[in-house]
Amino acid sequence: MSVNRLNMEGILLFEHPFARVPYENLRKAFRTSQKHIERELGAVAGKREDFDGAYDALDTLKTLEGMIARVESLKAKLNTLHTTTTAPTEYVLKQRLEHLAKLDGCSMRTDPAFEAWAATRLDRWLVDWALRTGRFDTARQIATEKGIESLCDVELFTDVRRIEEALARHSCAEALAWCTENKVALRKAKSSLEFELRLQEYIELCRAGRPFDAIAYARKHLRAWQDTHGDQIQRACALLCFSASTICKPYKRLYDASRWQTLIASFRSAVYELHGLPPLPLLSYAVHSGLSSLKVPACGGHESANVDCPVCDKTALGGLAHEVPSSHQVNSTIVCRISGKVMDGDNGPMAFPASGMVYSREALEEMAARNNGEVTCPRTGERVQFSELRKVFIS
Amino acid sequence: MSAELLKELAKVEKVMAYDAAPSARPSSSKKAPSQSIGSSLDSLLDSLREFKQGIEAGATSAEVVGLIARTVDEKKKEIDDRQKEVYNALGKLGKALDKKFPNALPEWQPVFTSPTSAAALDRTVALHLVRTGQFSTAATFVEESGVKLPDDFKTKFLSMHAILDALRRQDLAPALEWAAANRPFLEARGSRLEFCLHRSQYMRILFSSNPPNPVLGINYCKNFCQHLISAHEHEFQRLLTCTIFLPEERMRTSPYADLTDPSIHTELEGMLTQEFCAKLGMSKQLPLRVVGDIGAGGALSRIEKGRKVMRERKSEWSLSDELPIDIPLPPENRYHSIFACPVSKEQSTPSNPPMMMSCGHVVSKESLTKLTKPGGRVKCPYCPQESKESAALQVHF
Repeated sequence: MSVNRLNMEGILLFEHPFARVPYENLRKAFRTSQKHIERELGAVAGKREDFDGAYDALDTLKTLEGMIARVESLKAKLNTLHTTTTAPTEYVLKQRLEHLAKLDGCSMRTDPAFEAWAATRLDRWLVDWALRTGRFDTARQIATEKGIESLCDVELFTDVRRIEEALARHSCAEALAWCTENKVALRKAKSSLEFELRLQEYIELCRAGRPFDAIAYARKHLRAWQDTHGDQIQRACALLCFSASTICKPYKRLYDASRWQTLIASFRSAVYELHGLPPLPLLSYAVHSGLSSLKVPACGGHESANVDCPVCDKTALGGLAHEVPSSHQVNSTIVCRISGKVMDGDNGPMAFPASGMVYSREALEEMAARNNGEVTCPRTGERVQFSELRKVFIS
Repeated sequence: MSAELLKELAKVEKVMAYDAAPSARPSSSKKAPSQSIGSSLDSLLDSLREFKQGIEAGATSAEVVGLIARTVDEKKKEIDDRQKEVYNALGKLGKALDKKFPNALPEWQPVFTSPTSAAALDRTVALHLVRTGQFSTAATFVEESGVKLPDDFKTKFLSMHAILDALRRQDLAPALEWAAANRPFLEARGSRLEFCLHRSQYMRILFSSNPPNPVLGINYCKNFCQHLISAHEHEFQRLLTCTIFLPEERMRTSPYADLTDPSIHTELEGMLTQEFCAKLGMSKQLPLRVVGDIGAGGALSRIEKGRKVMRERKSEWSLSDELPIDIPLPPENRYHSIFACPVSKEQSTPSNPPMMMSCGHVVSKESLTKLTKPGGRVKCPYCPQESKESAALQVHF
């Protein structure tokens, strides 16, 4: 049946960030190695210039020693980079690709291999969700107990939390260090996070009543943004005339403490963008679209609720249903209240003659077989012979 | 598909390896095998140290200087070439990833952030952790989130998981005890659980006896299964007859091969979980799995495609109303009857319920009224029969 065939496009849509995160990390490790090589080897090559002029054994020896020291330090740096970053990242990426490869052999939803894969997928979503909502202990515990550490981004989010906590303490230093680390990527993404952070540090100098330091800071750090953030810089400079207790709107806003919350949000979205992570937890996407596909007007109705229906449980998932759109149904689907099976041509609907209550033929036949041909409606108590039931035709 | 990605990754690993013997390239390649960065640096160091020793030994010559410069350049080029290889391999891997994952998740505004929704989601996760037996994680989560669970909830699932653990150890006693204690409930549901538990036990007894001893099995049936025989008569006949095909190896090729299938033991866990949850008035499947598997099994990608089409047609569709398209669902995930009138295509409502005409065809009440001719007679649009409007019966699904 086609509904049991796996929809790979739909499945892989959710896995976009899964392999992206370690891949971007690997690229970052490569860029770091490139930077080391350029710096150290460039310096070694540069030392050749020292040889120019008259040959002098002592000078040559000294230059040579300098070169050896440089190469040795480069060797040490690259070795450390490889063992602490490159190799572990490659391992993570490999684990994830192998996890995805398990899907290749599956074609049906009911495949035991797919069942197992989907169970792990939910565990991964829960970790991702717990990390994004700040439940780090829960996240770590799921990851460890299920042995899926390499399939989750616990480290990445731990780092994010460290920087966010610093921002919440009104310290920009950690976030600025992160910006420096990711300068190229941020510039490529046209992110103004660094400017916002610099501006905040400037505002803090103004708040502290240190106008000279503030001016010096603006010269050093804000000037570079003149082309893109000219207006904001102008306003920032005017801020020097206002104290933190000002009631003048635009300046009051700059001094406002809520700016720190905005910074945290901007930082987070910059991290997500850089690592190819979606803005919402994966669990939210899945639950939102899943609930929506299931939601029908009858969900949670006093008489029509079904304990198996996730949307009907108002205390749990059903409590989210008001946020999602209803499903779009064009055809009739009749579900038997006794067996829970969808009725079709082979197992057609039958109605009790007086109450009009409809059940599937199979369920009624089974009931009749147990009760000498008599059937009783579980909802109304109407009792008739099986032969008195009326066949119902739903076109 | 994924195999290709793994191949690209293997290439990346090879060229990114810091210390490795020169990679042996296929002989068809004209280029010399490239050196790992580590070995290039080592050989550069060796040369530099040699020069140094040479000079210290007094072998001074202006030529040495040129030689040093040339060695440095050579090695630098070697390393740069290697880095270029890494760059290319990473690029290829990136392209392969783009190909495998062409679409990113949509940029949605935050959802489920209102206090009630957030609390409902927390509760869902807590219930999920307990239901799946992750008790210590659940405790951690309750601590971190402050979510409240019913007191007896954990106790109940602890007992369920104790029964399941025992099942996994092939100890059926706790499961049988639970089934016996809940016999009326299980019988009313037409559940096969108790029979299947005994069947599993019975087959184990048969297969573990060596030499094969059918009497052990027969005694088991006599002692423990009397109450089940009438409801499963035919199956008990098979269970007793299969003994003539012992031992197990021979039964595998007999008409009773199905009784040697491991699933008759492994299915018990799932069955017990289902019945246990039903007894607690809970869904038989894990709600979070059901919803998640549907959402990430094609629903979101279909919804997003639908939205895109709507946007292109410039007809706005608001996320909070109704999906623009029909999402196909597996039959077991259909929980409610939907009646769409075949005449008006409208879904039935309490004020416009489905009505069955004398011929058995069902249309909505409004359609029925429209179809009725003066005199109260109505001709079924789907069959030749004519009936009275007043004879139509409202049906309830």
